[in-house]
Amino acid sequence: MAQPPRHAAMLSLSNSNSNSNSNSNSNLSTASDSRQPAHLATASHSSTGLRVPSNRKTIYDRHLNRSRNAELSRASFAFLFAEMVTYAQRRVTGIQDLERRLNEQGYPLGLRLLDLLFYRTISGSTSSALSSSSSTSASPPNRPLRILPLLHLIHGPLWRLLFNRPADALEHSVSPDTPNEYMITDNDPLVNTYISVPKEMSMLNCAAFVAGIIEGVCDGCGFEAKVTAHNQPTEMWPGRTIFLLRFGESVMEREKVLERAGVK
Amino acid sequence: MSSSTKASRIGEELWKTRVDKVNAELVTLTYGTIVAQLCQDYDGNYQEVNKQLEKMGYNIGMRLIEDFLAKSNVGRCANFRETADMIAKVGFRIFLNIAPTVTNWTSDNNQFSLVFDENPLADFVELPDDGRAQDELWFSNILCGVLRGALEMVQMQIEAHFVSDVLRGDDTTEMRVSLVRYIEDEMPPEEE
Amino acid sequence: MTVFSLIIINKAGGLIYQREFQPGLRKLSTNDYLVLAGTFHGVHAITRTITPKLPYLATTPASNTSTTTSSTPTSATALASPSGTTTPIPNTTSTAATYMYPIPGVAATGLDSLETDKFRLTCFQTLTGTKFLLFTDPHMANVEPVMRKIYEFYADFVMKNPFYQLEMPVRCEAFDRNLNGWLRGRT
Repeated sequence: MAQPPRHAAMLSLSNSNSNSNSNSNSNLSTASDSRQPAHLATASHSSTGLRVPSNRKTIYDRHLNRSRNAELSRASFAFLFAEMVTYAQRRVTGIQDLERRLNEQGYPLGLRLLDLLFYRTISGSTSSALSSSSSTSASPPNRPLRILPLLHLIHGPLWRLLFNRPADALEHSVSPDTPNEYMITDNDPLVNTYISVPKEMSMLNCAAFVAGIIEGVCDGCGFEAKVTAHNQPTEMWPGRTIFLLRFGESVMEREKVLERAGVK
Repeated sequence: MSSSTKASRIGEELWKTRVDKVNAELVTLTYGTIVAQLCQDYDGNYQEVNKQLEKMGYNIGMRLIEDFLAKSNVGRCANFRETADMIAKVGFRIFLNIAPTVTNWTSDNNQFSLVFDENPLADFVELPDDGRAQDELWFSNILCGVLRGALEMVQMQIEAHFVSDVLRGDDTTEMRVSLVRYIEDEMPPEEE
Repeated sequence: MTVFSLIIINKAGGLIYQREFQPGLRKLSTNDYLVLAGTFHGVHAITRTITPKLPYLATTPASNTSTTTSSTPTSATALASPSGTTTPIPNTTSTAATYMYPIPGVAATGLDSLETDKFRLTCFQTLTGTKFLLFTDPHMANVEPVMRKIYEFYADFVMKNPFYQLEMPVRCEAFDRNLNGWLRGRT
């Protein structure tokens, strides 16, 4: 069942990874500030109502790859994420609702990270995130047209960008009834490192946030999908999580057409 | 050696040796989605968003202090000036890999400013161009709450607020921190 | 190198965590543990109150190594405890100048340890007022690093768990798992 893409409902407030590049490009033509070299032209007051610092140090003047290899403390992420969960918990009716909300909070990250991944491939910077992929996604900068390259993009480059390592497994549903289902496994999701879910909520997996990120990536690529996170603990990996991707009818239809057309 | 220099060294050493790292963009984007969610939940009422961010920060601060103490193994500060250096050079270093400048002390040593050259929480951020956000929203307000919560747990009541932010078009990002009081012991009266 | 068990007491003297690390160790009743926690909390406070208060003299130069030395009664007084009876350190420059910075280690206030022929109880109180009580073999050396590690696990798997409510009993599976795994790995 097709759900309208959620782009429209997305944040009005931007961590503007996704659009800063295009904005600054579009503003190149209108920027009339001759004191600034063209490549420093900003989306300044001439085109928006926003004030900028007198040193004009706006996001448009800073390189998008600046933070590419930057690191922050894992604790900071954990505290922010924990507070996101706590806040969400106060406004939900149950576990499913909580997971839905976490999913929604991850979704915009997926859209932005997708753009960031493409941008970094296209900009041809050395050892870019995409081309350093060990596996099949060695055909950037094209965006994936088929399901498999999309999945490899998620399993490899996306995971590496977020968690500094690829995901642990990628599988296709073996059931003939559910050819649209794929599974990505993470043995030890970073987002759950410090979290112990109470017994009475044992179904809950806070990596629903990551499921939302995946969903954002899929949607951003034009692959309508539902993504959910499920606990699949083993003795060795008590936090093992399966991300179940269910692609929509339209995607499966298109997949057949592309298959016949020989598109990879 | 000044307490500031010494704190800087401690902070840098801890950052290098004791802090587990994660991709900075994950943190930045996660904070962004939190603020965006609040803006949505409070329907663009930025005053309320500021308040909620401060409250979230307070909740975080009360927990984060244990992580700070466990990692840093530092003892109690002798005075508020030392506390300021500890926050700026050790706390901000181990949690955000920055070290804001401590400045603008009042003569009674009870108020200072933190001036931020870098703010990883606000990386890639542009406030909504709605004619209000730049006047009303303090995007990084969670940090004020973190300080309040963390210091309260070590018996200092403080008040913190931003006075400027480059996201608003200001030339600096500055937070004002005031010591309200040292919280007296809370022993049962009969033991006094 | 035997660690028998761990107790965590919150700021108010309430028992929030209790675990044995030796299989088959005889448990006390829940009530006994609660009484133990409350009693220790009280005795701890009393020992702090009765600490002889001397004029404050310059301490030995502070070193910034991460190892903690146990505090003398003098510095215990000077450091002021989270819920202690000493007043916060005055904010005057003359007093401040007599302190070295940073003060090494954690303010060890009140009762530090309690020992019998059969076991030793070591208490570590954080600056926030939480107490960790570790029951060990009386001959066990280097309790300090074990304590620090436990505090780090607490900061990670209790404080960063959104389902843990502050000051409430600790029921965090990841805390138990990591603590157990680490203690087992030590021996």
